[in-house]
Parts: sequence; structure tokens; C-alpha cells
Amino acid sequence: MANQTQLYQQHNIEEYFIDKEPFYLEVADEIDIFEAAYAQRVPILLKGPTGSGKTRFVEYMSWRLNQARKRDGRADQMSPLVTVACHEDLTASDLVGRYLLEPEGTRWIDGPLTRAVKYGGICYLDEVVEARKDTTVLIHPLSDHRRLLHIEKIGEVLESHPNFLLVISYNPGYQSALKDLKHSTRQRFIAIEFDFPPRDLEGPIIEHESGVDRTTAQQLALLGEKIRNLIGQGLQEGVSTRLLIYAGKLIEHGIAPRRACEVAVVWGLTDDHETQASVMEIVTSIFP
Amino acid sequence: MTNEHDSVIEELKKHPSALISAYEAVADEVADALGPAPALRWAQQGVRIASQGPRAWEAATEYFKASPQVVQTIGFTQFERWAESGIELTAEAPVIAASFFRASPRVLPTLAPRHIAGWAGLGRGLSKGTWKSSSLAARFFDVSDELVQQVNFHELQLFVSLVQTLASRSYDLAAEALVLGQRVLPAVSEREELISLAKVLAETSWREVRGSFEAATRVGNSVDRRLRPRYFALSERLARQGLGNVSAFMVESAQSLGLLPQELQTMVLERAEDLADTSAEAVSAFLRTAPNVLDRISPAQLDTWFGRGLEFLKENPDAGIAYFRLESARAETLLDQLSSSIELEKVHGLLRMYSNALAGTEVELQESTDITHRNIGWVSVEFATTDGKSVFLPPTVDLRDTKSENFAWLKVVTTHQVGHLEFQSFDFDFHAPSASFNDYREGIAEGIGATPGTTEVASFFDLFPVRAMAADLFTATESARIDQRIVEQYRGLAPSYERVQSDALASRGPVEMMPAQQALMEMLVRQSLGQTNARIPSPYAAQAKQLAGLLRSVRNREATVEDSAEAALRMYYTLSQVPNAFVPLDDWEDVDLSKAGFDEPTLEEIVERLRAEAEEAQEEASGDEYESPDDVDYRGDFKPEMVQLLAQMRGQAEPGEEDGSESAQGISQAELEQALRESTEIDFADDAEVTTVAANMMKEMGADAPQNPAGSGYNQIPHVDEEGGPLEALEPRSYAYDEWDFRANDYRPRWCIVQERLAVSGETAFYNETMHSYAGLIEQIRRQFESVRPEMYRKVKRLPEGEDVDLDAGIEALIDLRNKMTPDERIYWRRNKDERDVAVVFLLDMSASTAEAVEESSRESDWNAPGDPVAYTAWLRARRGETARRPYKRIIDVEKESMVLLMNALETIGDRYGVYGFSGFGRENVEFYVIKEVEELFTDRVKRRMDKVAPLHATRMGPAIRHATSKLAGVDAKTKFMFVISDGRPQDRGYSREGVEKEYAVQDTRMALMEARNIDITPFCLTVDRNGHDYLRTMTGDLNYEVLPDIMELPRRLPQLYKKITL
Repeated sequence: MANQTQLYQQHNIEEYFIDKEPFYLEVADEIDIFEAAYAQRVPILLKGPTGSGKTRFVEYMSWRLNQARKRDGRADQMSPLVTVACHEDLTASDLVGRYLLEPEGTRWIDGPLTRAVKYGGICYLDEVVEARKDTTVLIHPLSDHRRLLHIEKIGEVLESHPNFLLVISYNPGYQSALKDLKHSTRQRFIAIEFDFPPRDLEGPIIEHESGVDRTTAQQLALLGEKIRNLIGQGLQEGVSTRLLIYAGKLIEHGIAPRRACEVAVVWGLTDDHETQASVMEIVTSIFP
Repeated sequence: MTNEHDSVIEELKKHPSALISAYEAVADEVADALGPAPALRWAQQGVRIASQGPRAWEAATEYFKASPQVVQTIGFTQFERWAESGIELTAEAPVIAASFFRASPRVLPTLAPRHIAGWAGLGRGLSKGTWKSSSLAARFFDVSDELVQQVNFHELQLFVSLVQTLASRSYDLAAEALVLGQRVLPAVSEREELISLAKVLAETSWREVRGSFEAATRVGNSVDRRLRPRYFALSERLARQGLGNVSAFMVESAQSLGLLPQELQTMVLERAEDLADTSAEAVSAFLRTAPNVLDRISPAQLDTWFGRGLEFLKENPDAGIAYFRLESARAETLLDQLSSSIELEKVHGLLRMYSNALAGTEVELQESTDITHRNIGWVSVEFATTDGKSVFLPPTVDLRDTKSENFAWLKVVTTHQVGHLEFQSFDFDFHAPSASFNDYREGIAEGIGATPGTTEVASFFDLFPVRAMAADLFTATESARIDQRIVEQYRGLAPSYERVQSDALASRGPVEMMPAQQALMEMLVRQSLGQTNARIPSPYAAQAKQLAGLLRSVRNREATVEDSAEAALRMYYTLSQVPNAFVPLDDWEDVDLSKAGFDEPTLEEIVERLRAEAEEAQEEASGDEYESPDDVDYRGDFKPEMVQLLAQMRGQAEPGEEDGSESAQGISQAELEQALRESTEIDFADDAEVTTVAANMMKEMGADAPQNPAGSGYNQIPHVDEEGGPLEALEPRSYAYDEWDFRANDYRPRWCIVQERLAVSGETAFYNETMHSYAGLIEQIRRQFESVRPEMYRKVKRLPEGEDVDLDAGIEALIDLRNKMTPDERIYWRRNKDERDVAVVFLLDMSASTAEAVEESSRESDWNAPGDPVAYTAWLRARRGETARRPYKRIIDVEKESMVLLMNALETIGDRYGVYGFSGFGRENVEFYVIKEVEELFTDRVKRRMDKVAPLHATRMGPAIRHATSKLAGVDAKTKFMFVISDGRPQDRGYSREGVEKEYAVQDTRMALMEARNIDITPFCLTVDRNGHDYLRTMTGDLNYEVLPDIMELPRRLPQLYKKITL
């Protein structure tokens, strides 16, 4: 056991910092906006389709802000990034914390949001509309001037660490009316809209992330652009940059491009046979 | 009185005692019902019956027994007639009369009184005075009750005449037929046809009669109801022609027809009817193999295959029959050949999406015949082309041996046409700079004093004295540019593309036979197809290289359409100086053009040349007149000038332009004709044709994108200025609503009256048939919906927290604790809070346009909808009359079917829902039909109302939405939805404001939807109008709409959507 190298790294949530610069290409002025909002501690809503780089952007900004702190000699004020992927069964106590049963009674354990509030992290609630409605009770006091977190179970109120910031993301593409963000929530955040990057920007992203050669990356970006032309005409959502990168990774590993696109893009995108066939025709047109 | 009564008793006593006791058993009852005098008459009739002959008393006994019930069923006059009929029958044979009386209580309740005598007559007709015939007649009465219940009198007559025919051969057979008829006839709906067929068969063989009756029940199960009469008629025809084994034919053909969907059944049956005159056996063979054949080829191809078979059959019956049996090599070969060809229809959806993806705009795909039919300047059926909005492709492709190769060809053709859109051939701007040339266009225009043309492209072509040559040069250059871009960008397609190009090259004629100018033109075309070595006339080698160099210059990814124009311009300068004269055969050489470059002529040189040429043209052209090169198949028709012209006209017809609302068409007919005459893209036979084409174009563009088949909505209702002020809702169940006037930015108060009516009830058959024909889909939908339901209400156990401690889990945890073990912390339960509390209303568009056929849209009739209200209503009525007996489905039918499926699904998850239809004409009369109220239970009544939902008038959506909103507002539910299902944009008489006809209605509807949203109703619009994107985006704000490209998708899509949106 002792001489076995540990292949994973374990961090406490509040001690997790991003050390390596995440690859991010700015599309418009989103970096400036984020920095300005962070400086004023204005909560941020990231809107955009899946795989358009929202999470990567938050990672990049967390890294960037911490770099700035390091440069200014405030390395002790580093802000952790706490990411919570929201799902239908995510309740308020999943975020705040709960009592654990132990042989000798119970023990309180802080949830990720509480930790972020305490240690001054950026708390990123991904796909926030998926979470249960009771989470809004937490989000509201945290995202206005109060910056308070109520922990009912232990009867405490937490005032946020000055570095704390709430960032949420939301995909307006879902048509379900039950999965819409309420206005009272929505209007506590400034919104940055994300869309898939244009072809000449997406090419380099794919090239960088997947390691394929430039031509293939450009072809994949072209494929992305063409497929996204079909949104609303058979496709609910366009192909994400992420899927294109996966296709690139498969190609890089030696899978034939057409086949790679089929498994990574076509089948992942839709179950409708005709749409699949149409997208496949685009693939066969682009890739030899 | 009493005397008479006594004498009756006396008379009765002369007969066996059963008679008198039968009489006495019922006498009082009958007397009560009839009164004393008629009762006496009744008794006397009994005596009369009994006195008819030796065993007549038996009939009289039955008469008395039947009387009480018969009296109750029919009046006394009818009663007497009935008794008279009985007496006549008794005279014929008492046994028949006895049966008649015995059957009467069961038969008369369903038999119309006027047919009583006829019915008796039918039985008497069967009797021929012999014992056997009497017993047959008696038998007839015995089985009458079931027959009469199901079969109308006319059919009964026919059946009896069939029995008579059989009886003339054998009474046993006839008796058997009676029983068979009693069993089979009620189950068959085409009785008349069946009996008629059986009569033909009865002439030859009883066995066949029986067989055909038995087969008839199978026919009912497999052949579509609407086709059955024709099917029986066909069988009868075959029987008449002496087909031996008709019943076997029926069994087999019904079985194989059953394998086909209804449309194909119709088609196959029609073909079979065509065959029937020639050979009965071939019909039988064809019907048997049809499903198999249709597995391999498409219905359209079936025509070809069938036609060939019919020819063979006429030449040589045996060969023909073998052909249809698929026992002939020729049939197989043709099938193979047909099955390798590609039909556009089959791949239409696929290629449409492909084209949309590539072009990045919405592109319609249509058969090239669609554009030639419109007669707006395109004439070639085989060629692909585009009008800038749609791409037109040949309906079938069978150039290659296999399906995949044919498809590859079609894909190349499509990509080329779409390429013009993707790489913006039609965005040519006369004044825009090119990427790599010195821009000469403006300078030349100035130099020669040209005036701007109708379109940008026309302005360019106007520069040249020989317009055709300029156009050909531009076409070759631009096509070369497009091909280059495609091959470069779509490397996967490149191999197919190059193969198509080399095929095109191979099919071109010998260049040496052409005069020099044309030869050089030909060289350019070939070079554009990828040829690098060209055979050119030696005297013009320099010019050839110059031309080739220019063409090469546009074959890079930076080049734009303006580059093509600049290159074409320079080419023209060079080529126009080459005399179009023949060059001796030994004066040709092969040159390599792959590295050719060009020398830049100066602007002055070109202007000089063009001027000189223009003057020259006045006098005499040197050499032969210039002729265009042969077309390149796969590139089809490239008509940039026409496309720009159409686009320009389309742009003017678009709404939203605030100015110039009076003259919607900025280009007048005269200007258009002028432009057409000048253009070289169309060959006109004479001047009258120009006028026709121009008129067609004007009509087209005015009618707003009429290239849409089903679902495009009907003709624009002309704007009528509404007079008068607010209306009062005076009648019961009528409601007044405001209407939003977006020009005034205010509501028009109480502007519309909504008349709420209960939808007319029809039969439940529509509902049941829908359930039957979509059985598979229903099962699927039900499963989907059911999978959602359980978790909605379930108590969720074993949670880390919840409403209360789950006792079992709590005890386990305590035990674990006592045992010093870590307990499972999930000891709570919770009721899922997302309990479903949904109310939803559906608004169905019942406008006249939903009468459109789904399969074959009858476009012409649709465009002629008159604007005048009176004429319009008359037109509608005529139209509805036409469609009363429709063999096809209409949009509304599909809407209804989808609704039925969804209602069924909604019942499983328990959402509350209302279904309403709306239509109307004018603001005073917005019709709002209640099919199902939100709180109403789903009963047969609802099913009946569903049946009668039919196309009515116009579409005034706003008030209907407002009314539905007010209905939903009264319902207590957490979540509320409104679905609007329509087939086109909202429009109605007076639903407009001067100049902004379409916009007004859209804006009012948008407002109505917003009002709904304001009280937390989520609206959703679903349309089958392909142009729906234009206005739905405005109407619904953002994402809450969907455009279905194909209406047939609706039954599948609606439940899916519902689930997605509300779950």
C-alpha cells in the first residue's frame, strides 16, 4: 500500500483551487463584465445552451481572480470554487448541510453552499432550475444586499465572507414551463449570455482541447456550425462544443472521423432517425 | 254485440281446443288494448284465418298468441293489414302463416310498418306450392328477426331474390343460404354488393356462394371500409368474367390488401380494376403480389412497373400473368432497376434538413416540376435549380446502377444548388468590392453611360452588348467558384463530386466542331469541371491562356461572387475579340492550363472595346452568331437575374414596411416585362409569353410564398376598414372582448363578440376509428404517460429528511445504534410535493383552410378564395360540399385525430383539460365551439362532438384566446396551460389595419397570449404552417411555439410536446 502512488487528489471543498490556467477564449467582453461584477459582488447568471462553455468560464474566472490575488500579495485571500450540479432532487439541505447520524449521536456537517459562504468562495450552481423550489429560499437572501445564509436547522444566520459570490447558470432552451426561472430569482442577477462560439473561434478551442490537427478541428467547427443551423427544424439544441471536442478526441485516438462523429455527435444529439440521417449526411460531406 | 262475440266463440270451438285456449289466454289483454269493437274484429279475423283450410287453425293459434305484443307495437290499422297478410299466407300454406305470426313479435318492432306487407310478400314469394318450398318460406320467417334488425328492407329483398335463385336449383341449398345469410349479413356492411356478387356466383356454383359469404367477413377485417364497395364490385366483375375460384380469390386478395395501408389499398385496387378488363387471373396474381412488390419499390414506381406488366399482358396473356405473379425475369429485372432509383419524395425530409444545415437559412426542397408549373420563367424539368428560397430537384434519379450511387448524385446536385445559397451567388452587389480584382464595374458603367438595371445582376449584364455571352461567362465562373468552395469545404463529398464532374466532362461533344469563340467558351466550362489539359485552336492560344488564368483566379476560398463578376468581365473583353469562325482541324493543339495566369487589361481598354462592339453590333457581326455552350447536367439552371428579381418582389410584398402600403408591388408589370425581355436567362417564344410569365410572377409574389403545400393558409382576406364602435354582448352565452390595435397602441374596447356554442354532436365512430387506426401509437403514448404518473403521488421513503420518521426505517436505525453499528441515516419519508395540479385548454383552429387535403393539396382552388364576404361564404359552402364525401384526410382530421390521442393520454394522468374549436367571420361573430369543458367528464358526448369538428370560416385568434383565458382563469389549478393548434397565421375580415394587414392580427394575438401569461397561463402555439416561424416568433415572444414541417407528424408530436412542456 505504501509504495503505491496515489493517482487522485483529495481536497476539502473550501480548499479546492484551480492551479492550472483553464483554456478559455473570450468571445465578447464577458471577462471584463465578470470582473466588474465580482468587484462589486453582484451575483451573476450565466445563460446559454449546454456545452457552450459556462462552466469552463467560471473555472477560468476563478483561476484568474486568484492569480490577481497572488500577484497582489494576497495569496491568503484565495477564493475556492464550489461547483454544485443541480438536479431534481437537490434540496435546500443538500446545499446548507445536515445532521449525520453517528453511533454516539448526531453531527452537523456543512453543505457546499455554507462552506462557500464561510470561506469566501465562488459558489457556482449549475443548471439551477433543476433544483427543488425550496432552494430559492436560500438563494434570495444571499443574492441581494443582505448576503445572508439562514441555517434553520441549527438556528444560525451566516453573514457571507467578503469574497463570496453566487453564480448560477441556466439553459433557456428547455421549453418546459415548469423549468423556468422565476422572475423574482432572475432579477437578482446580472446575466451573461453564452452561445456557441463562432466557427473561427470554435476551431482553435477544439484544436486545443482535443489535440487534433488544425484542419480536423476546423472541419469539426464547420460541422458544428452546420448542425446548429438545424435548431428548431428537427433539433431542439445545437451540438455542443463539448461533443465536438469529444469527437476530436476520438479522432485523435485513431477512430475514423466519420465514425467518431457518428458516435460523438450524431447519436448523442437526437434519437429521431431522419434527423440522424440528415446530420450524418452533413458529416459524410465534410469528412472523407 | 254479445251475439257476435258468442258466434266467434262458437266458430273457434269447431277447431281443436288449443285454438280457443290461445284465444282466451289473450282475449282480455287485447280487448283492453283495442277496445270492444276492434277486439271483436280481431277475433273475427282469427276465425277467418282458422277457416282457411284444414290446418289453418294452427296458424290462427299463432295469430292469437302473437297478438298482444303486436298490438302494442303497431296501430290498429296496421294491425289489420298484418292480419290480412297472415290470411293470405294461410291460404298459401298454414305452416308459412304460423311461422309468420310466430316471428312477428320479434320482427315488427324493428320493421317499418309500411314494409309489413312486403315482408309477408317476400315469404310468400318463396313458396311455390310444394311442401319443400313452404318449409323454406317458413324458415325465412323464422330467421327474419335477426336479418331485419341489421339489414334494410331493400337489402332483404335482394337477399330473398338470391335465395329464390338458389331455390330454383335446390331447396336445401336455399335453406342453407338463409341460415348463412342470417349469420353473415349483419356482420358485413356492403350487403348489397355482396348479394349482387353472390347472385352472379349462384348461376354457377353454390359452393362459391357459400365461400364468398364466408370470405366477406374477412374482407371486412382487412379491406378499408371506403374501398369495400369497389372491392366487391371488382370481385363481381371477375366472377362474371368466369374466374373459377372467386371465394379463394377473395380470401387471398383481402389478406394481401390487409397488409397495406389505406392509401396503398386504394392505389392497388385501382390498378387491379384496370387489369380486370384484360385478365381476371392477372388481377388475382397482382393483388397477391402487390404487398411484396410495394416492399421493394415506391408507390410511384409501382405505376411504371404495373404499366409495363399491362403491356406484356396485352401482348401475351400468359407472359403477363407470369409477370404479375413475379414468376418472370422481366418483372424481377424491372423491380431491381426501379428499386435502385432514388425518388426525391423518399429522401425529401433528409435532404431538406441537409440543405437547411448547409445554407443556414430555411430552404424548401421541391420537385423541379413545381417550378415549371408555375410558369415564371423556369422550363426545364430534368434540371435542378433554385429560385433563391427553394431548391428544385429532379423527382427521380436513375442515372446510376445502385441506389447509393444515385443518391450520391442527388446529393452532389443538392449541394451545388445549396452552394449558391451558402456561398452567396445571389447576393451579388454591383457596387460591392471584389476580393482580389481592381473593381472595374462602376468605371465601365460610367464609361459607357449605362443606367442601373432592375436588379444588381441585371445592371452588370447590361454592360455587355452580347448579354448571353456575359451571362455564360458569369455562370461558368461562378459555378467554378462554387464547386471549388464546396470541394474544399466538404472534403467528404469531394470524391462523389469529382466523379459527377468527370461524368459531366465525358458527356461533352467534340470541341473541334465548334467555331473559335464557342470553343474557348467550351474550354472554360470544361476547365470549371476540373479539366486541366484542353484542346484549343492554336491561333488563339494566348487568349485561351488568358481566359483560363482568369477562371483560375476565382477558384480560391477568398473569392466572392463579385470576383466572379470581375473575372467574367475580363473574360468577356478577351473572348469578344475572338472571331466566332471555324478553325481548320489541323490547327488545334493541346495545352496545359493548370498554371495559366492572366494579364490585367486596363479599364480604358475595356470601355473602348465595349463601345466599339456596341457600334459594331449595329452593323454586321463577324462570323457565326454566338451560341451558348451545352448545359452541365448537375449544375442545373443558374438564373441569378431571375432570383434577384423574385427576391426583390418578395421583399416588397413583405409586411412591416411602414411606407408605400398602397402600391405593394414596387415593380410594375411593365417594368417587369422589360426586365424579362432583356434577360437572357429565359427563352421566350413570343411577346405574349413575356406578359404571361410576368403576370404569373406578380401573382406569385403577391400571394406570399405560395409554394407551400398543405398548411400554408388560404388566400389573404383583403383589408376592410371596420366601422362602428364597441359591441354589446346581448345574446346568452356571448361575450364581448377588447382587441389590441398596435398602431394606436391601445385596446379597441369591446370590439369582438365571442359566441359560445356547444359543438354539434355526431357519432362516436370517429373516435373509435381513430383509436383503432392508431392502436400502436396509443399504446406507446399511454406507456410514456403512465411512466410519469406513479412518482407524482408516491410517498417517497428512506430519505435523509422529510415530513416524518418512517417507522420501519427508524426502528432499524435504533437497532443498529444499540448494536453499535452505523445506522442508515435515511429514515424519513416525504410526500412528493410536486403533486400534479394541471389544467389545460386546447384551442383548435377550425378555419376554412383546415379543409385542405393533407396528401394532395388542391392548390388552385385554394388561391381563388374570393375576398368579398358574400362570395367567400358561397365559395366556402361549395368547397365544403365538395369535401363532404372525401376519400382523403384534411388538416382538421389530423388535428382531430391528434386531439383524440392526447385526450386519451390525458385521461391516464388525470390532468384537467378543455377542448375548444374556434372560427368565425367578422368581429361580431367569433365562433367558439365547446367540445369539452375543463370540468366536464370525458363521456360519449364529448366523443360525438369531436366527430363534427369541421372547417368553417376565418381565424380570429385573439378573441378566442381571450375567451379561453377567461375560462381557465375560473379554474383552480396550480399550473395552467393553453395550447393553440393552428394551420396558419391569424386572419379574418376586418382583422387588420390599412397597410399592416398581417401585422395587426399577429399583434393582437400576441397581446391576447400575453394577457394569458399575465395570469400565469403558459401558452403554447403549434402550427403546421411552414412559414410559421415568421410570425410565431413575434406572436409568442420566445420559445413557446413549434412549427411542424409535416402535418402527419402531429398525432405523434402533440402528446410528446405536451409531456415535455407540462411534465
